[in-house]
Amino acid sequence: MNKVNQIKIINDMINEARTNLKPLSFNLVFWGIFINIMSIIHYTFPSFIQQTNYSAGIYWIFLPMIGMIYMTRWNIKKYKEMGYSTTLGRVIKIVWAVFGLGWLMISGLAFYQGINPVPDILFLLGLVSVLTGAIIKFKPIILGGIFLLIFVISLYIYPGQNALIVNIIGITLGLLIPGILLNRMKTNE
Amino acid sequence: MNKELEKLLFNPVRLKILSFLFSVENASFKKLIEVSEATKGNISVQIKKLEDAGLIKVRKKFEGNYPLTLCKITSKGKTSFKVFLKSLQSYGINESTDVDFKNRI
Repeated sequence: MNKVNQIKIINDMINEARTNLKPLSFNLVFWGIFINIMSIIHYTFPSFIQQTNYSAGIYWIFLPMIGMIYMTRWNIKKYKEMGYSTTLGRVIKIVWAVFGLGWLMISGLAFYQGINPVPDILFLLGLVSVLTGAIIKFKPIILGGIFLLIFVISLYIYPGQNALIVNIIGITLGLLIPGILLNRMKTNE
Repeated sequence: MNKELEKLLFNPVRLKILSFLFSVENASFKKLIEVSEATKGNISVQIKKLEDAGLIKVRKKFEGNYPLTLCKITSKGKTSFKVFLKSLQSYGINESTDVDFKNRI
């Protein structure tokens, strides 16, 4: 085996080891659809979701928790199928795990204090999206995160807006569309 | 460069294993079979040689009822691989075949 062949082997192996970003795109699309469906149901049947002081809180905490359990299991299964892990993949996992924790904390505290959690959650989601987009160098996710941050600012400037509508638009631009674009990307990393 | 290292990585299967492990955090035995296109028996032997040389670390565990073997490059393995790459580049191989591995170190 000559030196050129050795270099070729090394290059091939480095290309094989690229981080597969398809699972991330599935995660973004899943949460985009999941949260939008939840928001639409809440918007359409407000009297049903808000029939007691606790029902809306339960709705927005427990259903996402079920989604988180499902996605965690799905991600573990995908990781096992891939058979390898990369530093980039681990960083993305940590960033979104921290977001999940933050989401639960914000929802729990908002539920306890009786305030609307949407602006804080969108703010956290915007930051995490910008961070993820910058880490994987994918502009649509960065832009999606910036859109989310703009929506948060608009919610503070015009507090009279319907938070559910803002949530639907923000999640569509911040998660759903970037997730679809990432899924259609041909090359990884 | 260390003659022993050169001899060790002269084998394409061992070079494939070490190059792949250099680029990832860890990889399963199954994945290493897939990327190296070697047989189970052959890869076991080559992994053992790399492990004996201290270049990789092998961890065996059970997931459910199935055994899972995970391989990881050691810091000695990383250093050795960098030395090996530098020596290859010092042979004056042109840019098009050169390895861009700076971002991975």
